[in-house]
Amino acid sequence: MTETLKPENADQVLDAVKWAVSEATPLEVRGSGTKEGFGRPVQAGRVLDLSGLAGISAYDPGELVLTAGPATSMFEIEQALDAANQELAFEPMDLGSLYGLGEGTGTLGGVIAANLSGPRRIKAGAARDHFLGFQAVSGRGEVFKSGGKVMKNVTGFDLSKLMAGSFGTLAVMTEVTVKVLPRPEKTRTVLLFGADDATAVGALCHALGSSFEVAGAAHLPAAVAARSNVGYVRDAGTSVTAVRVEGPGPSVEHRCTALRDLFGKFGPVEELHSMNSAALWREVRDASFLADDWIEKQVWRASVPPMQGAGVGAKLRAALGGEAFYDWGGGLVWFALDPRADAGAAEVRAAINDCGGHATLVRAAADVRQAIEVFQPQPGPLADLSKRVKEAFDPEGILNPGRMTAGV
Amino acid sequence: MSIPSATAGAKAPGSVDDGLLDVLAQIVGAGNLSTADAVREQHGRDESYHPSAPPDAVVFCISTEQVSQVVKACADRRVPVIPFGTGTSLEGHVAALSGGVCIDLSRMDSILTVNAEDMDVTVQAGVRRKALNDYLRDTGLFFPIDPGADASLGGMTATRASGTNAVRYGTMRENVLGLTVVMADGRVIRTSRRARKSAAGYDLTRLLVGSEGTLGVITEVTLRLYGIPEAILAAVCPFPDLESAVNTVILTIQSGIPVARIELLDEAQMDAVNKYSKFDYPVQPTLFFEFHGSDAGVREQVENVKAIAADFGADDFQWATRPEDRTKLWQARHDAYYAAIALRPGCRGIATDVCVPISRLAECILETRKDIDASGLCAPIVGHVGDGNFHIIFVVDPDDAEEMARAADVNERMVMRAIAMDGTCTGEHGVGYGKIDFLTAEHGEALVAMRAIKRALDPLNIMNPGKIVRV
Repeated sequence: MTETLKPENADQVLDAVKWAVSEATPLEVRGSGTKEGFGRPVQAGRVLDLSGLAGISAYDPGELVLTAGPATSMFEIEQALDAANQELAFEPMDLGSLYGLGEGTGTLGGVIAANLSGPRRIKAGAARDHFLGFQAVSGRGEVFKSGGKVMKNVTGFDLSKLMAGSFGTLAVMTEVTVKVLPRPEKTRTVLLFGADDATAVGALCHALGSSFEVAGAAHLPAAVAARSNVGYVRDAGTSVTAVRVEGPGPSVEHRCTALRDLFGKFGPVEELHSMNSAALWREVRDASFLADDWIEKQVWRASVPPMQGAGVGAKLRAALGGEAFYDWGGGLVWFALDPRADAGAAEVRAAINDCGGHATLVRAAADVRQAIEVFQPQPGPLADLSKRVKEAFDPEGILNPGRMTAGV
Repeated sequence: MSIPSATAGAKAPGSVDDGLLDVLAQIVGAGNLSTADAVREQHGRDESYHPSAPPDAVVFCISTEQVSQVVKACADRRVPVIPFGTGTSLEGHVAALSGGVCIDLSRMDSILTVNAEDMDVTVQAGVRRKALNDYLRDTGLFFPIDPGADASLGGMTATRASGTNAVRYGTMRENVLGLTVVMADGRVIRTSRRARKSAAGYDLTRLLVGSEGTLGVITEVTLRLYGIPEAILAAVCPFPDLESAVNTVILTIQSGIPVARIELLDEAQMDAVNKYSKFDYPVQPTLFFEFHGSDAGVREQVENVKAIAADFGADDFQWATRPEDRTKLWQARHDAYYAAIALRPGCRGIATDVCVPISRLAECILETRKDIDASGLCAPIVGHVGDGNFHIIFVVDPDDAEEMARAADVNERMVMRAIAMDGTCTGEHGVGYGKIDFLTAEHGEALVAMRAIKRALDPLNIMNPGKIVRV
């Protein structure tokens, strides 16, 4: 059992990191631990448990920003936002069900550190686009802060963007500020039944290119649709393609009608109202189709140019068996396969190589994640650059060593 | 103004000698290398009031490969490299503070690939914003970021440009998908490909967006595109006073109405616009709006905004639906700077640029307006107020030291006020060397991290030295 350091505030985080630097003792940076299965296993001398840095420190709905400790649970964040009828527009995914853990136990810091965004990313942008500022302790044992509460700034290098998706390997965040937005008044989903993957992705791209402000575009092949808890989807007996529109009532009605017409050219259509919409997009967001009795399957998440999505899905199934489903209009391919020692890494990388995508192994046993590259390997010059960035923040390599790639 | 010295910045030891000029001529051809005074002078100056600093030589490159060779040749001799797009920056970004070689990218003006279905485009760095949109017109797509100037997309990326459309479409940082960059040692990297970024190493794309040429030379940019909206509607509406105009903006944004543009011009600026662009708008604080979306969506946005404005005593909306009317209306907004300067012939304009949290916007603008009035300066206010960002255009006589000092005083008070309100000293113009000292005031601690990055990626300090952070 690794010993744990449990700072209660930012000063104690600084002390802990300074100590780790002086002792050359690597730290595993941890919020609530729900993303332990995401990334490579970390070999660390101590766990730096940030759970003491929890709680919302500033939230005035009128400011459209929220500041909180990194270990504030997403449940707490969502509750506070709900009460003011606001939300995080990037729709952070909850990895809980994918890892067989509870929902809402992940932390805000974890969401940012992993740059986790949901279906609305195609419209609202990714987590990093809503991440306005932070305070942190670098691996050099120095306190710094960047960004702030403003919607835009151009004050030097955009350190927030660097911090988002860095998996705790550059600095330990002690405070996080994110942009929040009013929740849309109404949500509707238009479903198209029976389209094959390629037709579906074509229809989704068409919808995304329209002026109907689509805020979700997913395709579930029949085997995945059957795993939904939404009746219309589960009982369709065929594939289901879904687009979401949100906003004030009348405009949602209008856009829904337009999208039904557009989808109607490809096959039979149906419409989901608020409750069912919310349930379906939560499933898409959290990839919960791949949970429950599929919990043993390994899961990849590949980001590709949207129009290539269906082709990539076909290649993956041909090479490895398994099941795929699509979000972001085809730009995000979720793929589940029966466990293999190498998780089919070579086949997955080959399938996305031609179209310039990247694939991440999101779920697999620790020994598998230790043995292969979990994240997309970077070409030489880029890997070298990443290494230099790592050294600039954490020259001794004490923060989450090896989490992203061996040596970084 | 607190005008920074044009010689600020670390002195790189290397200098441009005949040996280097020979090498450069071999790389780009003698005809694409210039040491002429006029050419050097033009390349050391941007649109700001900051003293210019000409480079020792200018090379006109036509490919990433050429840029790479030029940077290598300069790195070998520790000679500074300054990238140049169109020279429309506003904080002395292109000034060759330590001499060196300016790489002019304007001839790298090819649009490389348009992926209409995936809604992205890859361009060379020298392609200008308007040329791209002209090219895209037939595809039904457009690139929304509009800083006013017809800047190059490479320059807009390097300065993380934004502009009037940022409320709905974001800034360059949300819309750059990938880059080709020549790093300080001449190596060429491609930061990410066309797929949306999701966990594949650090986000080097966004690190380079806004790095102002201090980490590398951007030679190609992949951008996100948008469908041209089904309906576009623009309007101008005067308000009884500044406060009601700003409060209308705040409430519009807080209600989540997805306006494409919402711009504030105070009465001094409206007066200038009327005179300059031959309009007869009421000389009152005025909001310029643009709505994008489906027909029904636009109608609904308009109804909601009208209701809010009415609560603040404004109901005289003038609408522009025809494209030519819209163009005229926005041209008037974009000409604000020139219109302001025309108020006092022979004077210069100094544009400032702060950004505050939306809830503090009214307070910040009103206090600043009071300051201006008390100072007796000619200084209209304009702003992309939808994201909390606004500018004062000081129209000043550069030879009048006392007047310049008064302007500097108002500016400094405004910047410190913004910073005290959790705001920033620059919402969109960037740091260059003009704001380098304000940056220290705003977040000194972040500079340590920025300096470490600068040292890690440009150990010789040859990439646009003396900008953003001094090392």
